[in-house]
Amino acid sequence: MATITFRPARKSEQRLRFGRLAVYVFLLVGSLIALLPFVWMILASLKTGPEVRQIPPSFWPEAPTLDNYRTILTDPTLPLSLFYRNSAIIAISNVILAVGTSALFGYIFAKFDFPGKRALFWFIVATMMIPFQVTMIPGYLILAKLGLINKLTGLIIGSAFNAFGIFLVRQFALSIPGEMLDAARVDGASEWRIFWSIALPQLGPALATLGMMTFMWNWNAYLWPLIVLTEQNKRTLPIILNWYSTQHSNQIQLTMAASVLVIIPILFVFLLTQRWIVRGMTLSGMKG
Amino acid sequence: MNSAATQSTVLPDAPTPRPRFWQGRTGAQKVFVLSALTPMILYVAFWSLLPIVWAAALAFFDYSARRQGGVVLGLGGDNPFVGLQHFRNMLNFSPEAPLEVRLFHISVKTTLMFAFLIVPLNLMITLPLAAMIESVHNRLRLGLRTIFFLPVVTSSVGVAIMWGYILHPQRGLLNAGLGSVMGRMVAINWTGDPSLIIGPIPVALIAVIIAYLWQDIGYNLIIFIAALQGIPESIRDAAIMDGATGITMFRHITLPLLRPTILLAAILTMISAFQVFDIFQVMTRGGPDNQTRVLTFDIYDNAFRFQNMGWAAATSVVLFLIVLAISLLQNRMLRSEWEY
Repeated sequence: MATITFRPARKSEQRLRFGRLAVYVFLLVGSLIALLPFVWMILASLKTGPEVRQIPPSFWPEAPTLDNYRTILTDPTLPLSLFYRNSAIIAISNVILAVGTSALFGYIFAKFDFPGKRALFWFIVATMMIPFQVTMIPGYLILAKLGLINKLTGLIIGSAFNAFGIFLVRQFALSIPGEMLDAARVDGASEWRIFWSIALPQLGPALATLGMMTFMWNWNAYLWPLIVLTEQNKRTLPIILNWYSTQHSNQIQLTMAASVLVIIPILFVFLLTQRWIVRGMTLSGMKG
Repeated sequence: MNSAATQSTVLPDAPTPRPRFWQGRTGAQKVFVLSALTPMILYVAFWSLLPIVWAAALAFFDYSARRQGGVVLGLGGDNPFVGLQHFRNMLNFSPEAPLEVRLFHISVKTTLMFAFLIVPLNLMITLPLAAMIESVHNRLRLGLRTIFFLPVVTSSVGVAIMWGYILHPQRGLLNAGLGSVMGRMVAINWTGDPSLIIGPIPVALIAVIIAYLWQDIGYNLIIFIAALQGIPESIRDAAIMDGATGITMFRHITLPLLRPTILLAAILTMISAFQVFDIFQVMTRGGPDNQTRVLTFDIYDNAFRFQNMGWAAATSVVLFLIVLAISLLQNRMLRSEWEY
């Protein structure tokens, strides 16, 4: 067997080695392109105003300085900690809501039969197909009627129902053995107790994935907060970043420093939890 | 998907499924399900169903939130019912059509152009890239995946600002790079010069496409890498034994095996391309000369800048119909794909 295939294998081996090299060069160039915008942003944030304005621009800062960061962190019109707080309140509240409700309803959809189950599940899946731009107009009108425009609550109150989350948890909950639940019933555990102590621990990985993805979506969300939060001190980081960048279009070094402060810290959080997000995306084929 | 298909072929002969519900369920279980589901259904009715119905209704009214209007949802009264007027207007292609109608036509065209350019470009980059990343050894693969994944988790506002700076006419990296290659000053206004057009495609739209691709490729990359790892080692070994090398292997083994995944990724990419808003709003605001005005931006503009919410709702219904059509197409294509 080995002798029959030896010759073609060796011939392709040489071609493979050249191919290998090409692959590595390609990947190197590709990853440089992927990183370049980040690098360009960070380098610009370390330059002085005159250096950024010179034509043609320099790549490496001639005299690296942290002045831009000092300017931003002491700028009274830009209380970054307030905006971080707004973003965090909204994102964390929505994570708690989405994880809690999705766990309960995903579990119920996986493990119970009830009249109208099919129709309800169909409706949940169907809501995922409706573009946000369709429901944002009535969504805004509802919040306006409830007096929740310019309130952080307005961005939280409607998010307890998460179709994606219910779908994701249901897929996981299907694999919880029914005998396990029945055994607990025989032992006299209440249904809520069974959900809490038996189902929930099994759903851990799914909930971690859902939590991380919900956090990411909410943290980066732009359109909905843009509509609902129009008062400056209620705004979230992406909106503030855009506002600051248009205010300082002639001082790109400041915009870039602000971008670094807004983008980079959270990238570390995502890197640490990368596998949960990656898993959610490959499992669901969804990115929000 | 498979189990659903078999189920539907079995069900017609089986007795009606209705009595099965609740069977063998104790009172405690019924109480549990009802006590959990009732609030959920009320909540969903208010926050999900109501907006959908409301949006559909708005499309048939000349509605502005600034006017008082009738008793039910502010419809009627000063916000009169106009029937199919909005939809009839959309079909008015004469040059004298109202501004909002002409802008709508422009934005539909731009949206289609954007979506149909994004999908092939995305696949042309992500497929070979995924195959290459998959072929290197483990630790490097993880590192590369992380690098290409960074833009996916970056806020789109950040992405738009970073690329806006790279493409800046005087201070940008791209013009500086081009300048040093060509040995003279280059000051191309990538995102702000309406006279820059390549064939039917405005350069400003290409600029947004580049920024969006940069942000978006990591997503399909992950999906394809996962799919590639699912290809059995034995198939690949057999191909290598038969003398297949990198590119022939990719063309004749990898691509055919990935067909269902590629199809799914293509359609998901297209659906999300139709709904891109952030990058357009931050990078170009629909400009120059509305060359990058997409449907999502048009809807936002009409609803919240011009307070023309009835018209905006009607155009959002068009967006929904486009996305729905693609989803249904996806369903059909995937079903035949799986049966095969």
